[in-house]
Amino acid sequence: MEIEKDILIEDLVEDYPFAEEFLRVRGIKCIRCGEPIWGTLEDACKEKGFSDQEIEQIVKDLNEINQNKNQQNESEDQHTRSIKTIRYKGD
Amino acid sequence: MSQKINIQEVLKRLGIKEINSGVSTGTKWFETEGKLNKSTSPVDGSLIASVQTATMDDYEKVIKTAQEAFKEWRMTPAPVRAEVIRQIGNALRENKEDLGALVSYEMGKIYQEGLGEVQEMIDICDFAVGQARTMNGFNLQSERPMHRLMEQYQPLGIVGIISSFNFPVAVWMWNAAIAITAGDVVVWKPSSKTPLTAIASHKIIEKVLKDNNVPEGVFNLIIGRSSVMGDNFLDDKRIPLISMTGSTAVGKRVGERVGKRLGKTILELGGNNAVIVTPKANLNMALMSTVFGTVGTAGQRCTSTRRIILHEDIYDEFKEKMINAYEKIKQRIGSPLDPETLVGPLHDIHAVNQFKHAIEQVQKEGGKLIYGGEILEGPGFETGTYVVPAIAEAENHYDIVQEETFAPIVYLIKYSGDVENAIALNNDVPQGLSSAIFTQDMQEAEKFYSAMGSDCGIANVNAGTSGAEIGGAFGGEKDTGGGRESGSDAWKAYMRRQTTTVNYGSDLPLAQGIKFDLD
Repeated sequence: MEIEKDILIEDLVEDYPFAEEFLRVRGIKCIRCGEPIWGTLEDACKEKGFSDQEIEQIVKDLNEINQNKNQQNESEDQHTRSIKTIRYKGD
Repeated sequence: MSQKINIQEVLKRLGIKEINSGVSTGTKWFETEGKLNKSTSPVDGSLIASVQTATMDDYEKVIKTAQEAFKEWRMTPAPVRAEVIRQIGNALRENKEDLGALVSYEMGKIYQEGLGEVQEMIDICDFAVGQARTMNGFNLQSERPMHRLMEQYQPLGIVGIISSFNFPVAVWMWNAAIAITAGDVVVWKPSSKTPLTAIASHKIIEKVLKDNNVPEGVFNLIIGRSSVMGDNFLDDKRIPLISMTGSTAVGKRVGERVGKRLGKTILELGGNNAVIVTPKANLNMALMSTVFGTVGTAGQRCTSTRRIILHEDIYDEFKEKMINAYEKIKQRIGSPLDPETLVGPLHDIHAVNQFKHAIEQVQKEGGKLIYGGEILEGPGFETGTYVVPAIAEAENHYDIVQEETFAPIVYLIKYSGDVENAIALNNDVPQGLSSAIFTQDMQEAEKFYSAMGSDCGIANVNAGTSGAEIGGAFGGEKDTGGGRESGSDAWKAYMRRQTTTVNYGSDLPLAQGIKFDLD
């Protein structure tokens, strides 16, 4: 699943928790008073004055980070699986 | 860390199942098909139960049912309506311990505060029962002979209630008890972070609604994602009033969208609450009250004390007292269900991130962290949501001090000279919810709550910023939104005002003496 600019902030912070910090350092606060703000990623970016081009870049960056995280997780999973296999073989 | 409350038994008694419907019109629960919302506890990270959220179809059905119910409910006499509220208050009394425990387990506030939250619900029910017989209008003097001029208040219709995770059930009842007594019907969108307390509350009132033949659609609950209970809810012209408690960011959106269709709003938004401690204060009293304000609910109340404005003459002494008090509190951070605990967890990892960010930011801007700020680890703290409340020395103009951080970090700010200087600092933030002064000096106190004083909705003397009673109107100014909920004459916001002229003579005199003769 790709992150798109019309994703709801509520879904973004729930499904991609890393996005909260990524956006916060760019001045976009997804969580206020402990709750996700309403609206889409695009709404939140536009409110902070980001241009369409900049928003596209933000979406691209978020997807890249997500992809890297997935790859990292996959490699960790493989590592865990191989350890389990070795242990199994050892038993 | 002992947990003396058996949460599984509590859930069973409250009727919470593994998967629960998130939509009700009072006694009927819908078979919903929306996204599954899993509610996990900030206490230990466990999955408590899940909620099947609403679809747009469910939303439509609820609103239509509510519209029908309003036709009957508005013609039910207010004291009869309030009898239902009285019985709801009693049902809450019977379930106070269980609901309080679930509030504590799902939200994270300590059990005593969970009980306090349910007590607020009971209190507002009692208040509404009395108010049902005093929702009065005016009889005015007409300038025309044989004419009566009067004003009365009529119910509005459907009241939308949007509540937040930090007071997951009390805010609903603050609004609902008054709105229902006023003849309105309510549609409640609780926080998606605390859906189970909302379901439990609705299950508690279910029997009362049945016993009293309350029409289906007077009390409605819709637990939905913002794609189902978001802008469409705000834009819905069938809902004349939206009462929203939450952040200023969301409140602005609510205000704009509802305002665009000329609907009404009650906005109870963020605070940046300060306590002023003058050299004339009883420092021990100020300390006790202030510490509850800073660390209570782990700093996640709208009225939590965020800033302490200390006179330079007592600054060091008070700072020392604060650190000593925090040292004691540090020993009592833990499971909110443990009666020994004074500070429970933050609600989730995002809140922890906000806390860390504030600590980093205040130091970047030149402030000094003088206590706390650690994220606790080890047995009992595996969720990563338990933090040591932080104290930082700062200046009022720092960006991070100007904003509300929903976590237990408090800023010590020094002032010199007269109390007017402290009041200026108190007011020099965008928000205006709660404020307090500690002083034994009558002139300082009078200045604080005079027209030249605090610009907040709440201005207390020798009492802290948090822990308001339900009897007063609750809310604040500026970025806090200007709305008032709960007690006093807040009921007027849930009704429409109507002016009526009755001519009981046989002539037709026009106002202002205008002559308009056809002959």
